Order: sequence, then structure tokens, then C-alpha cells
Amino acid sequence: MAHDPPPSAASLLTGEESVLNHTRHINYWRRCLKTFLPWQYTSNDSNRMSLAFFIVSALDLLGNLDSGISAEERQGFIDWVYHCQHPDGGFRAFPGTDLGELRNEENKIWDPANVPATFFALGLLIVLGDDLQKVKRRECLMWLTKMQRSEGGFGETLGEDGRIEGGNDTRFGYTGSGIRYMLRGYITGPVDGVPDIDVDKLVQCINISESYDGGISEAPFHEAHAGFTHCAISALYFLGRLPESSLPSGPRHDDVIRGITNLPLTLHWLASRQTAILDEEDLYDSAEDELEAAHTQTNSSFVKLSSFPLKPREVPQQDTWPLPHSLQWAGMNGRCNKIADTCYAFWVTGALTVLGHLNIIDRASLRRYLLDKTQHIVGGFGKVAGDPPDLYHAYLGLATLAIMGESGVKSFHTPLCFSQDANDRLEALEWRKKLIGDWQTESLKN
Amino acid sequence: MTSYASDPAWADIEPLPQDDGGPHPLAAIAYKDEYSEAMSYLRAVMAKNEMSERVLGLTERIIGMNPAHYTVWLYRSRVLAALSYDLRTELAWLNPTALKHLKNYQIWHHRQTIVDALDSADGEQAFIAGMMEQDAKNYHVWSYRQWLVKRFALWDAGELEIVEAMLQHDVRNNSAWNHRYFLVFGRDDGVVVEQKTIDREIEYAKETIRKAPQNQAPWNYVRGVLRYAKLSPASLKEFAAGFAPVERPEDIKSSHALDLLAEIYAQEQGKSEEAVRVLDLLAEKYDPIRANYWNFRKSQLGSASAAA
Ligand SMILES: [Zn+2]
Repeated sequence: MAHDPPPSAASLLTGEESVLNHTRHINYWRRCLKTFLPWQYTSNDSNRMSLAFFIVSALDLLGNLDSGISAEERQGFIDWVYHCQHPDGGFRAFPGTDLGELRNEENKIWDPANVPATFFALGLLIVLGDDLQKVKRRECLMWLTKMQRSEGGFGETLGEDGRIEGGNDTRFGYTGSGIRYMLRGYITGPVDGVPDIDVDKLVQCINISESYDGGISEAPFHEAHAGFTHCAISALYFLGRLPESSLPSGPRHDDVIRGITNLPLTLHWLASRQTAILDEEDLYDSAEDELEAAHTQTNSSFVKLSSFPLKPREVPQQDTWPLPHSLQWAGMNGRCNKIADTCYAFWVTGALTVLGHLNIIDRASLRRYLLDKTQHIVGGFGKVAGDPPDLYHAYLGLATLAIMGESGVKSFHTPLCFSQDANDRLEALEWRKKLIGDWQTESLKN
Repeated sequence: MTSYASDPAWADIEPLPQDDGGPHPLAAIAYKDEYSEAMSYLRAVMAKNEMSERVLGLTERIIGMNPAHYTVWLYRSRVLAALSYDLRTELAWLNPTALKHLKNYQIWHHRQTIVDALDSADGEQAFIAGMMEQDAKNYHVWSYRQWLVKRFALWDAGELEIVEAMLQHDVRNNSAWNHRYFLVFGRDDGVVVEQKTIDREIEYAKETIRKAPQNQAPWNYVRGVLRYAKLSPASLKEFAAGFAPVERPEDIKSSHALDLLAEIYAQEQGKSEEAVRVLDLLAEKYDPIRANYWNFRKSQLGSASAAA
């Protein structure tokens, strides 16, 4: 495999098609599944559940999961996920905090269940074909209500005296609402005596994180970011609170609080993420074009920070317009004026898909960017052009192609972040069908 | 590094090895012995809730290898409290650690907890300036900076001047633009935004655009300011037209000016032909990457929804 030349710009000039190297991707993911990940992943030890999800789900997307593992392996993987189930509901993110038989009331705060890990554990079980019957569903949903902060957002783990620990951004609202969706669909109100989360407050919490430019950020007044934007929009999907104009069935005219208060502005922000600036050097070049004689500005309120380099650069004001060949490859950035990065291809196309507006971007140049620039010769995708693959970017690169309908890759359920096949299995689970069916019958009666 | 097993100071601890649950673990990592051993000792001391100086050393070693471990930080905080540890010393330890793991959330959260307990922002602005020298767009650092401003009411403590200096250095730094918006419009100390402040912000954005018209950050900023002040984007029509003379396409300097003009025309009565013309210029020449988007905008003309 080392004999092939690296993917290069030349392929286009010679009329070669950009291709997904299916076999190499399968090899990459099978290696991740069947052998130890290199020690460099130690800094990601506490994200093992999400890494496991990426590995198994990538093989599913590539259509290689069923043929690639034995029944015994499949059961072994399912057992491992359940091994990470927490006694009080939810899942650990890795076995590293498990205190086993030494666990007691005093020390259990060091071994909590984790919200994103629980989302990925449930997804992983579904992809592996498990029916979730061994999930402590009641405990899990009860724990979930304790993970919501009074202002509406979700945290990551439960700490001392029931304090909610970890961040408070849309990643946790996304994974928290995803857990609710997998275990109880769109049902509102209590289920089996377990109260619902406060949906209105979570939606409000998302809405106040909208930035002045239409993107969504970590918290009010923080900078708009494609990852937080995607998580917010997918959370709204799980909660049934997408803006009315983006619903396929058209406006509902109900009076529930919905998210995304200015859809055209959010679409403007998402469309603005596509960029032909693919590395820092490009960025520097274009920044140079921008900085016109800044020295002419003598400025009164200028405070020089001793440690901050302040050398205004002098360049003539000359804007150049893109030549068609430079637009052959256009990735996505995560924030205004940043360079393209594989993962943002996913966060942006995913958000647009959920909003029903994937057609406002240029899919062809994005596809070429992924296949010619960040696809790696050993399989997988790197973060930026020329980078070695890592599990996170490799999965999100593949998922982006799945979203855009790449042949040889299964179709994708964006909010759940796995294949449509897996979603079909979720929807076919008998206990879940019954739960939702009973609730629908009940609400028709009222 | 010496191993804990051969260290007499740890002889009383029975390490608790990781239970990976059966023969088919997923995402198993080829841990180095040093990490496996330290984690086994961590589990053992956590199980006993040991609060000691040696535990601080152990948590430090694990943080060095896996700073994303979500309970090792909480445990460390609890030990610091139990030992009434000097928080200035803890902060001094954190500084190089933060530099090494710039993109780690837990470190910033830990810092926030300590600075909050110290009840003093002394030295923090200088520390942040040093971090921003490494990475002027680091999301965690900007988030921490906002927390600091709110917690210690630093609204008028030189923050706006720092932002201006940073924008002077790199006018495209959207994080700095965003911080400016926060400082001006996000105050929670009862100071109202006066008309003259709004005028100042619009003028500042315009000045910056004049220097580099093809920079989206100040265009987004000024449109945000207008929305905040409930002013129509049409108030920028002449300004935008200056960078996008539709009659002389060869003199067009900014696709963002065209974008704004299209928006203004879309909202003006009887100007949809002009809007179409501007959107065509964008789709065909000045921003063809987004041709699909500009065409979508054309399809929306006449409907009520516009990204004012
Ligand atoms: Zn990335």
C-alpha cells in the first residue's frame, strides 16, 4: 500500500476522478477494531466510548460490520458496552474509573456516568444489533433529569452532593436529548413515573447561545462555532423543536417554543463556512492582501501589551477574485476566517441536512476536498490536508460523504450520527414501539 | 520515572488494576506501563478517598498523560480543599500545564475554580495575553476571558483596548471581534448601551472595513450592531455601494458588500431586479463557491424571510 502516490492536485488536471478508497478505509477501521490503538490515544482514554462508536459505526457505514466480525466477537463487544453501564443508570466513558467491588457511597463520585458517553453507548448497542433490553432505562432517564441545570443546559457528570459537573454547552444538550430520543422518542411528560426533562428550558438555553452573526456558540456572547451549531440543531431535532419553516410538513402553528430564531441568518452563517483556504499559509497570504497600511492609523486608545507582538504589516489594498481552478477543492471551516478542517465538513453539512438545506453549499468541491486533500493513503481522513488519520476526523469525513450520498457508503441518519439502517433497527425495537404506541393512543384519547 | 510499585512511600497501597470486562474490549489502547500503573494507584486511592500531598503528585502525573480524565481534576480539587493547599502555588503549577494542553477544557475549568476561590483576578489578564500569543483564537481562552470579565467586573479594565490592539495586529481575528461585541453589548452590570456607543461601534467597523473590505468579520459585526439597535441595514446602503459599484463591476472590492446590498434591495419595495443582479454577480464572479447559496437567496426574493 505504500507504493501508491499520495492523492494530489494533479489527479484533477489529468481528468482523474476523485475516489473513496473503500478497501483502504475498511482496512483502517478493521485495524482499529481488532488491534490495540497506539499509545498516543492515551490522552483520549476517557473518550473510549466515543472512539468505540466511531470504529464500529464506520465499519457499518462501509457495509463491512456483518461480514467483518464473528457472532462471538459481536456479543463480546456488546458485553463490553454493558460492562461500562453504571449501576445507577447511564454509562461510563471508559472502564478506567470503575472501582469494582471497592465502590461505596463515599467514593462513588469518582466513578460517575457520563452524558456524551451514554449517547454513544446506546448508539453503539443499536449499531451492533442489540435490543437495549439490558439498558437500565428507568434509572438512565431518572439520572438524565438530574443532569439538567436549572437554566436548561446539560452537564457531563454528576458530582459531590448532586452537583452537575463539566461544561454547559450544546454538546451536552445534544447528547442528553439524544439519549431521551433513543429511549422514549418524542414522548413528552412522564414515562413509567420518570419525569421528562425540561424541554422548553433547553430550547431557550440554545436560543440565547445564538451569536450576532447567526451561528451558535458555547454560551451567550461566545463566538459562533460550527460544532456547537450542529449540536444545537440536532438537539432541536430530538426535541421536535426545529423552526417551523424547516419542517418538511410545513408550519405547525402550535405555540411551542422553537429553536433558531432567525433561520435565514443561520443559513447565511452556515453557507459562509465553505472555504478554499485550506492551510495556514493560504490564510496568511489572504490576510496579507487584507492589511492595508495599518500604520496610517495612529490611535488614541491604544494599549500596548508588553508580551503581545504588534507589528502592523504594510501591504497595498488589492483584492483578487477566486480563479475557477482554486475552487476545485473547498472545505469547511468552523469559525469565521479560519482554515478548512475535515470535522467541520461534517458539522456544517450535518446542520444543513437537519435544517433541510444541504443544497445551499457546493457539494462537489467539498467532496473533492475530502477525497483529494484529507483522505489518507492508509485509509481514514486527517484533520487538514496532509495530516495522518485519527479516529475522530476519519469518522466525520466518512460521515460527511455518507450525508452527501457517496456510493458504497450507507445512507446516514444525521442527528443520531449513524446509518439509516441502525435507525431502522431502533425504530423497530418492540419495547420502544409499544411505549410510543401506547402514548400516542393515550394522547388521542385526551 | 520511578514506578509506584518500587516506591516505599506507596508500599501501603494495593493497586487496583483496570477491569476491561472480558475478551473483547472496544477501543483498547496500548497503554504505556507508566500510565497503567499510575491509573491503578489512582483508583486505589480514590476508593479510600485519600486526601494527601502524595495524591497531588499522582494526579499531576495522570493529568500529564491524560488531561481529559474528568474525575481526576475533581479529585484534585477536593484534595486541595482538604489540605487547605496554597491556591497561588496551584495556579503557578497550572500555568505551564495549560500551555502544554492548550485545547483541554478541564484545565480552564480548574483554573476558573481556583481563581474564583482566590477571589482575585491579579495577573490573569497578563496570563491570558501570554496564552494568546501562542494561539490568538483559542476558544477556551476566550471563554475563560469572558468569565473573568464578568466575575471581576473588568468591563472597563482595559479589555476594549486589548481587543483593539489585537485587531490592529490581525483584523481578521473573529474571536477578537466577538469579544468586542461581548464587551459592548453583553454587560451585565447595568450599564446601558447609549446611542453614541452604537454610533462608535458602527464607525469602528466601517473604519476597519475601509482598510480590508474583503474581511467578513467586521461586516458581520456591523450587521449585528444594526440588528441590536433595531436599525435597518439600508442605513449602510451607500457605504456598501462604495465597495461594490454594481455599474462598474471591475471596481468591486468586496463580496460582503455585495451580499449586504442584495439584502438591502431584497427588503426595498420594487428593487428585486437589482437584488437579482447583485446575487448574479456573487454567484458568477465574486463568490462562486457559494453560487448555490446566492441562487437560493434569489429564490427567496419576494418571500418575507430575509436575514436582516
Ligand atoms: Zn477538526
